[in-house]
Amino acid sequence: MSDSLPVDRRRFLKVLGVAGAGAAAASACGIGPEPTERLIPYLIQPEDQIPGTATYYATTCRECAAGCGVRVRVREGRAVKLEGNPDSPINRGRLCARGQAALQGLYNPDRVAHPMVRNARGVFEDIDWDGAIQRVAAKVREAQGKGIVFLSGTEQSSFGDLVDEWMKQVGGRRMSYEPFAFEALRAGNRMAFGTASVPAYDFGNAKYILSFGADFLDTWLSPVEFQNGFSRAHAFDAGRPASMSKFVYVGPRLSLTGMNADEWIAARPGTEGLLALALAQVIVARHLARLPADASRLSSLLAGYAPRAVAATIGIDEDVIVRLAREFAISGGGLAVAGGMATQGPNGAEIAAAVNILNYAAGAVGTLVKFGADLAIGSTHTFGDLTALMADMAAGKVALLFVHGTNPAYSVPGAFQQALGKVGYKVSFSSYMDETTAACDLILPDHHSLEQWGDSRPRAGVTALQQPVVQPVFDTRPTGDVILKLSGKTGTFEDYLQGKWRAKHATNFDQYWMDSLAKGGIYTEAPTRAVRLAPSLSRISFAAPAASGGQDQDVIVFPHPILHDGRGANKPWLQELPDPVSKIAWHSWVEVHPDTAAKWGLATGDFILLKSSFGAQKFPAWITRSVRPDVLAVPTGQGHTAYGRYAKDRSANAFELLGAQANDYGGRNFGVRASATKTGEHRKIVTTEGGPRELGLGTTEVLPLARAKALHPGDHPFHFEETPEYAKEAVEWWGERQHEKASIGNYRGEHPRWGLAIDLSKCTGCGACVTACYAENNIATVGEELMQRGRELSWMRLERYWRTDEHGNPQGAVNEPMLCQQCGNAPCEPVCPVYAAYHTPDGLNGQVYNRCVGTRYCSNNCPYKVRYFNWYNYAERGGQYEAFPEPLSMLLNPDVTVREKGVMEKCTFCVQRIRGAQNQARLENRNVRDGDIVTACAQTCPSEAIVFGDLNDRNSRVSELAGNPRGYHVLAGLNTKPAITYLARVVAQETPSHG
Amino acid sequence: MVFILALPPVVANGQQAQPASSRYKAPVLSASDTSRLKGPRQPIFFRHDIHAGQDQIPCMYCHYSASVSSEPGIPSLQTCIGCHQLIGGGPPSHQAEIKKVRDAWRERKPPEWIRIHALPGFVRFPHMRHIKALGTQACATCHGDVQQMAQVSQVSTLRMGWCVRCHIKNNVTRDCSVCHY
Repeated sequence: MSDSLPVDRRRFLKVLGVAGAGAAAASACGIGPEPTERLIPYLIQPEDQIPGTATYYATTCRECAAGCGVRVRVREGRAVKLEGNPDSPINRGRLCARGQAALQGLYNPDRVAHPMVRNARGVFEDIDWDGAIQRVAAKVREAQGKGIVFLSGTEQSSFGDLVDEWMKQVGGRRMSYEPFAFEALRAGNRMAFGTASVPAYDFGNAKYILSFGADFLDTWLSPVEFQNGFSRAHAFDAGRPASMSKFVYVGPRLSLTGMNADEWIAARPGTEGLLALALAQVIVARHLARLPADASRLSSLLAGYAPRAVAATIGIDEDVIVRLAREFAISGGGLAVAGGMATQGPNGAEIAAAVNILNYAAGAVGTLVKFGADLAIGSTHTFGDLTALMADMAAGKVALLFVHGTNPAYSVPGAFQQALGKVGYKVSFSSYMDETTAACDLILPDHHSLEQWGDSRPRAGVTALQQPVVQPVFDTRPTGDVILKLSGKTGTFEDYLQGKWRAKHATNFDQYWMDSLAKGGIYTEAPTRAVRLAPSLSRISFAAPAASGGQDQDVIVFPHPILHDGRGANKPWLQELPDPVSKIAWHSWVEVHPDTAAKWGLATGDFILLKSSFGAQKFPAWITRSVRPDVLAVPTGQGHTAYGRYAKDRSANAFELLGAQANDYGGRNFGVRASATKTGEHRKIVTTEGGPRELGLGTTEVLPLARAKALHPGDHPFHFEETPEYAKEAVEWWGERQHEKASIGNYRGEHPRWGLAIDLSKCTGCGACVTACYAENNIATVGEELMQRGRELSWMRLERYWRTDEHGNPQGAVNEPMLCQQCGNAPCEPVCPVYAAYHTPDGLNGQVYNRCVGTRYCSNNCPYKVRYFNWYNYAERGGQYEAFPEPLSMLLNPDVTVREKGVMEKCTFCVQRIRGAQNQARLENRNVRDGDIVTACAQTCPSEAIVFGDLNDRNSRVSELAGNPRGYHVLAGLNTKPAITYLARVVAQETPSHG
Repeated sequence: MVFILALPPVVANGQQAQPASSRYKAPVLSASDTSRLKGPRQPIFFRHDIHAGQDQIPCMYCHYSASVSSEPGIPSLQTCIGCHQLIGGGPPSHQAEIKKVRDAWRERKPPEWIRIHALPGFVRFPHMRHIKALGTQACATCHGDVQQMAQVSQVSTLRMGWCVRCHIKNNVTRDCSVCHY
């Protein structure tokens, strides 16, 4: 074979699997002559692909800096699904919604398809690659000595090394920028321990978790890893001696992380550090934990922070502080984390330092907080460095700027744009027309991370490899290749990467390389480095900021758990996935406490104009008790002025409210003072909360820990009279008829009964399952307008119910994934006039799309409201509500029919995966084994809350869980006999509210 | 450049081959003969009757994934050239068609076959399950006696009733969700 490169062996000439492509494009139920299809064979059969069979390639997710390993399912040369790589120690086979949606970045219809240059009229026009590279080379020569800067995202990688070498060669420098770079945490670590690195956190072995605003389940450092660890520690498992770790959240609003807490302490913003010190003071003064050797220093340091002295400032009772300290220390494995909303103010670093002291006092440092296994994000440049760069740019000291993998013009609007205007020549390597790229002079679009080679070192000890899994979709080029060419070196970036790896492992390299590729990287455990309290610690003032008066409001700008810093906004899956807390999709909002709303006469959906000293934006109000009355909270992520059809001109950009000045520790203040004025405008917010599909309380069950611990096998704490006395006779009669029917044809004999068990104690409501379901089942995104009318098609949805105290204040939430219950006695089936909804022998509520005529009787009769109707032809080319514009249609799963207008659709437990596993088992002359079939939701769930299997198999995991005393069926009283067993949420302790 | 030069097993060592006397002899066709043949005219006049009938090449030598995958697999051009690097054909009409294969290989431009057997997008037909159940000789059950077709045409309706009749006859599943999902 002439082509020896693995990527070329996979060369995909055109769609061989016309069957697959045909299925995706035209699944019309038309009968009659089909249009002539062409079958185009391969020139050379790729060795590692069989048509109709998926091939999996290990690579690395680059959607955030966490560096999760992924396996990409490739069918006939198209990447159709991402799944976590079980070999990766970071995400252990799990993936979040943002990771799932990387595919929509790859096949995004608004990618920059070829190099472009700004012409004399200021408009972008096409340019060929050679011309573009020559132009850059000329500009580099011109700019030498006048300031060359390469601005990248977090790049702890061979690519970053290459850029560094190139910049050294041309006399420039590389800078990295992340809008959320955890400066406060790094500065706090330097204050407390004299090291600015970001350690690894072991949530899995924590016995008590105290978060000071650190949203470790959504945006803090490494969310999938932490969520997996958190659910191991926090889930209720009767088989384990210390049943569950209590989780207490301290912060001004309940985030996705906060709403999973057992207790919410709404401390006054900025006083979180005082609380941490008060806790440490109690622990040290009362010797609640085995104290470190230098504890004597601690006690003098903490002397001024006795609970009595600080309780009033923090705004919570003294005895609550003492109780928390006691619980934290006595657990023998307390872990405190700081970050996010608590460290967004000017004293963020001090708060992080204070939490470090608490960890140190309780003995968590070195065991649960591991310096040594440092995270890459800790080496990113700070916001202070970016402001210095902006000053240089504004002063004309930057003649040539390269931008790669970051979009500062969106997250620092205004200031960065202005500074950019003073730069001589700006080159973007982005493959998306984001705000920064739109302001550049030349665009050399990079390959998507799924199209190119690379590696990254997300944390010490882990080197994750990245390999191309598909042929490039557009005429893009790997930036590594371009840089090698510009720096006059031969070879491709692949050669460069291999060279780097070969230098580390020369013997038997080819085998080593192939093994590493198959595993997705090299995973080792970095040795833990001991840290001691820094000598200068005693000089730090932990005083809380004075309560500010005046008319202005405290406004918190927080990272959107789904869209993050805005990078997810061009992916329709992420836009349509409701925010886990507010359940709002497709637009931004401001969180207002009902007391504040009453004062201002606000209703949900009323716009308020927030005006800080830096900018003004208006947001529709979402009135909620999950935010402190004296705080308004706004998510980032929306309000793009560019970045493609799904992101552009959508709602408002919260970054506009923030200043472009770095604070004392080099971070950015995400909390601002702003005036709030009602504008008089109103919009209907796009929310799934309280919609007609939600069933309200009574579908979720919560048990206090003591009660859950007392349960024995065979107990039934949730007693539902499934069949009331008066109906017994009728139901028995019905049962007999059913039994008769069940002995006809297909229904005779031994069959599995597929079922799910969902542990609400593990579910955090993050939404990864929802996006995985969209990806696996070709679910169309309907867009803002139709979603507002309740026409979304999310087969799986997350219903969030607040747990409240006696005053109605939320103490956290219970999240309930709601999907088709595959009822044994399904209300949807008998009402279908055309037998499109029917019962399969293996216990599913089948839905035959080609038989459905769209009467919607089934949906009317479904008590769970999990059937979804196609009001439009979302797959229609150029249609009004087209969900898969080219090339987004490339990610459609060829194993699943694309539904058309007038068809009812719903979850069928990933029946294509069931049939696939059955086919495979039959080929291997065996039965399907427990664990062979994993539904998309169960596969991706970072908390491992969902288990799928055969309820008729007594040894399966799911039937064991279905018999768990915590298990219950939703709306069991309707006698629908669902196949899904929910395990009740267990709450560590019933506690009154504070703050 | 390395070609896979291994000949099909039958050609190479005569396995499974019937005695020469009973073997099907594919006719040499004139232009007027070919115009009367059923089915669409393919870009290369590929004779299934010569390859599968006369030369007894097993179906799955070319349709290599039919027994392991839902898709039967269309032979890559490399498979064609594996033999036709050496085999140039007898009659001039055959030689002309084989030249098209060699040209396509040289130009690295595979032929665009016209699809004959197509199912709607909402139907799944796992080839491997059917071959597992019915054996490797079962292709003709649905595709007809391709071994004697100079030009392949569709002989079965491929309608659901036709599928279900066979499923009833063999007493196997008639569950909708086995094929429709």
